[in-house]
Amino acid sequence: MDRNQITKWFKAPAKMANKYSLHVIYFCTGCGIIEVPPVITSRWDAERFGVIPVATPRQANLFLITGYVSVKTLRAIIRTYEQMPEPKYTVGFGSCPINGGMYWDSYNTIKHLDKYIPIDGWIAGCMPRPEAIFIAVTHLWTLIDKEMANGYVKYRENYEYYRKNQEKVLGKLEWPPLFPVSDEPRGNVQ
Amino acid sequence: MNKSVKEKLESTFKDIQVSILEDSRIAVTVENHGVLVILRFLKDKGFDHLALLSAVDWIEEKEFELCFILTCYMQNDDEYTDSQRLHIILKTRISREEPNLETITGIFPNAEPYEREIHELFGIKFEGHPRLTPLLLERNYEIPPFRKDFDTRKYVKDVFDKIPFVEDKDK
Repeated sequence: MDRNQITKWFKAPAKMANKYSLHVIYFCTGCGIIEVPPVITSRWDAERFGVIPVATPRQANLFLITGYVSVKTLRAIIRTYEQMPEPKYTVGFGSCPINGGMYWDSYNTIKHLDKYIPIDGWIAGCMPRPEAIFIAVTHLWTLIDKEMANGYVKYRENYEYYRKNQEKVLGKLEWPPLFPVSDEPRGNVQ
Repeated sequence: MNKSVKEKLESTFKDIQVSILEDSRIAVTVENHGVLVILRFLKDKGFDHLALLSAVDWIEEKEFELCFILTCYMQNDDEYTDSQRLHIILKTRISREEPNLETITGIFPNAEPYEREIHELFGIKFEGHPRLTPLLLERNYEIPPFRKDFDTRKYVKDVFDKIPFVEDKDK
């Protein structure tokens, strides 16, 4: 353990434990998932960084979205994200979740993922190298230290807007709202 | 070997054009009402594997072209070896205004997902298909998206770009 961090451990032990044991749920959409097997196996052993894949979203606190997101996948992504316990962090991997990438004029691929769920960080590139995942993880540590990785707080506060955007793409959602929503969105009324 | 298949086809049916593309490829062009008969004939001759069913949109000729790609394994037949495996591309055209065709799931049951996909992406209706429900897409499109007159950029501008960022909610 790094001796410099010992004060942090005394101040907020739960946060530090969260930070150094990121349990990842990989969302195997698109082509980015091809980079993940070398990352979690012995070549670039991700467990050095405390990153370990888990089986279900209920055990995860980092959501890695690899590759383009079609409309049908978005439904599954939202359901997965809402099942994860807080605190939860999301990272978009590759250029397609950022702004569509090479699918910028596709009829069935959503362009900006952060319109539908909050994203804490992006890894740009097509494809990013496996090392980029570790750079992202270390950046995420810094963000968690500074309390800037607060996507899940934003999701709770602006849930009505996120849900409205989700309904615009997917039509009526068949699951109940995660947080209570009023009929009229707040803040929109002047 | 492909010559013998060509002769058999030409001697049995009248209104078809058979052309040999390569050593192992034969293209057959038929009218759309003769598709089922020819498919049944070819299946009885041993072409029992439907490899692909796809569609092409010829917008200037106002027609859809459907391609049925058949091949054979012919393991029980000593006459054919693996290197001589023959592919038959059966092409037919239907009008763009009324894109209807009889289903071929009675002959090749594995055509069912292909027909569902083509129905969804091109809007071609297959009469007698057991379930023409959505397969891949989640949204309803006014024009099926694989048709040539579907403007993807306009669609993206109208649908995906109109959704606001949550950060801009106060504007």
